[in-house]
Amino acid sequence: MINISNLSKIFRTELIETHALRDISFQVNEGEFVALTGPSGSGKSTLLNILGTLESFDQGDYLLDGKSVRGLSDKALSHLRNEKIGFIFQSFNLIKDFSLYDNIELPLRYRGISSKERKARIEQALELVGLAARKNYYPTQLSGGQQQRVAIARAIAGQPRILLADEPTGNLDSLMARQVMELLEQINQQGCTILMVTHDPDQARRASRNIQIIDGQLHDSALYDPLTQQTA
Amino acid sequence: MEQFFYYLKVSWFSIKRAPLPYALTIFILSIGLGVFFANATFYYQINSDPLPHKSDKLFFPMTLLVPYQCSDCKPPSVLSYSNVQKLSQTDIPSAKAAMYSADGYLQLNNDQPPLPVVIRITQRDFFRMFDVPLLHGNIWTDNAARFEVILSKATASKIFGKTDVVGQQLLLDDRHFTVIGVLDNWQMLPRLYDASYNNHLSPNEDIFMSLETGYDLNYLSKTSSSTFDQTDYRQLSTQGRAGALHQLQYWVQLDTEVQQQAYQQFMTNLVNDEKAAGRHPSTVNNQLVPMREIVAYFGDEPGDIKAFALVTLLFLLVCLFNASHLSLNRYLSNQYEFSLRRALGASRSQLQLQMLADVLLMTMLTIAGALLIGYAGITLMNQLLPGNRLFSNWDLTLLLALLGIVFACSYLVTIYPSIRASFGSLNQQLKE
Repeated sequence: MINISNLSKIFRTELIETHALRDISFQVNEGEFVALTGPSGSGKSTLLNILGTLESFDQGDYLLDGKSVRGLSDKALSHLRNEKIGFIFQSFNLIKDFSLYDNIELPLRYRGISSKERKARIEQALELVGLAARKNYYPTQLSGGQQQRVAIARAIAGQPRILLADEPTGNLDSLMARQVMELLEQINQQGCTILMVTHDPDQARRASRNIQIIDGQLHDSALYDPLTQQTA
Repeated sequence: MEQFFYYLKVSWFSIKRAPLPYALTIFILSIGLGVFFANATFYYQINSDPLPHKSDKLFFPMTLLVPYQCSDCKPPSVLSYSNVQKLSQTDIPSAKAAMYSADGYLQLNNDQPPLPVVIRITQRDFFRMFDVPLLHGNIWTDNAARFEVILSKATASKIFGKTDVVGQQLLLDDRHFTVIGVLDNWQMLPRLYDASYNNHLSPNEDIFMSLETGYDLNYLSKTSSSTFDQTDYRQLSTQGRAGALHQLQYWVQLDTEVQQQAYQQFMTNLVNDEKAAGRHPSTVNNQLVPMREIVAYFGDEPGDIKAFALVTLLFLLVCLFNASHLSLNRYLSNQYEFSLRRALGASRSQLQLQMLADVLLMTMLTIAGALLIGYAGITLMNQLLPGNRLFSNWDLTLLLALLGIVFACSYLVTIYPSIRASFGSLNQQLKE
């Protein structure tokens, strides 16, 4: 489903060049739950952004469903993000003066889905995250964990095939983090491929596979121990 | 349509989020456009075509038929009676009328206080040429002298208290006249048949007298009269008709290109005959000036309005620049939402549609503010320049044009900020 080959990303300023990712190659199959781990600044969020087409890359290729995303127009990339990819951000990124319903509706609005179907999908997504009764609430009326569940509802309402989560529990306490993880596992069990950036070894262990990034380079994922955060 | 209403709703939320910068943007735009509107109204009205269906058929024949020698002179802006007689001796024009204006005092009888009036002294084709509407009665049957006048509707109401006064007698400068016609409401703006010395900006006349009667009664022009020989202007009825006393405007209606060429040729032949007879010592200089070009020909285009138009345009540019700056700040503070929408699947073109809804909302609010300020500006200008009062009206064409200008300005101040906001770095915005 995802095929990354020899991918590199360099951040340039006037004075220095920083190699955020160097010659990375890996594949993700449909239905996998992959945890991207590694120390801070190792390039895992950059990789997630590239996978979500939020950021471009300098070298290599990225095939999604067998098609390269390199050189796609803004319109094609927007279409791809809207149809195939769902995002969950660490800071939730909900619009605070929009109701939960309106927040979840946002990606559906750009897909030309009818009002009736939008309503059905939003209610279904809210049901799944356990917030069906609060669709007219505003994000500021919810706890952090509830806000992240709304963000998950927004991500899954479009029925994406890939869910990209950037430290989805980073701003949550352990109880809420566990609830969010359970929700992600439930979504994964329904067939959605998930790639999740995390620092938390417990969460990484719950993924079906780990990919470790250190200094922008990929380490052998099979040998990585998320509990000790060390490669054998 | 549903998506459009959604865009409007998003715009409204964005306004609510930062109402002060938005209100300031609207305020600055409204001031710039309001001042611009006030001036544009005058400029538009003063330069409008009072007879769009026939203005290209009406001409003022100019000729240097004067008793002095000059090689590079412009023809005088008014003609002598004898010149008009010569220029009238052809059937080429579909209509022709000489005219001038004079002051007089009108009263119903000696018991009533005299009312100062402006008299248009003219010939019968005047009414046909300039589409003057008649409410009651008729115009003169020919151009002969007669003690018959035609009143404007307002004058009839002022003197008689009613408009249907055909056949009634009145006193004009102590002479008895019979009313043979009353005009319907009529205001030709600008009054291009009387364009010299900016008279085209004045209101229409109150009363109409036949040209021959005006000369018989020694009415001298109130605006422009020049004597190029020994003619005594006090002897208008005799010397004024024969000598070089210039005070007449003269208009001909030439409906076709053929007629126009024929009349040009007629003027050339006339001048050649005059030269042969020793009455045209100057270089030949004949002009057939179209009605729409008459103000420019006389060089009487009001400079103050032009200068003020330039100033208001510059002021508008300054306001646009400031509004654009405020708009940029507002959009950049909303960049997070732009980035979020893009991350969730909105393309840049969809964000530009969102921007159009913003522009539409801004247009609606700005037009209200601009019209209010424009109206205040016009009221102020009417106080300061009462002579321009006639040109301070808004019509549908003007309002639609103004609406278009507001939309264009709102678009201009929004386009750059919205493009800047939609090109922000997605991941950076969403991380913050």
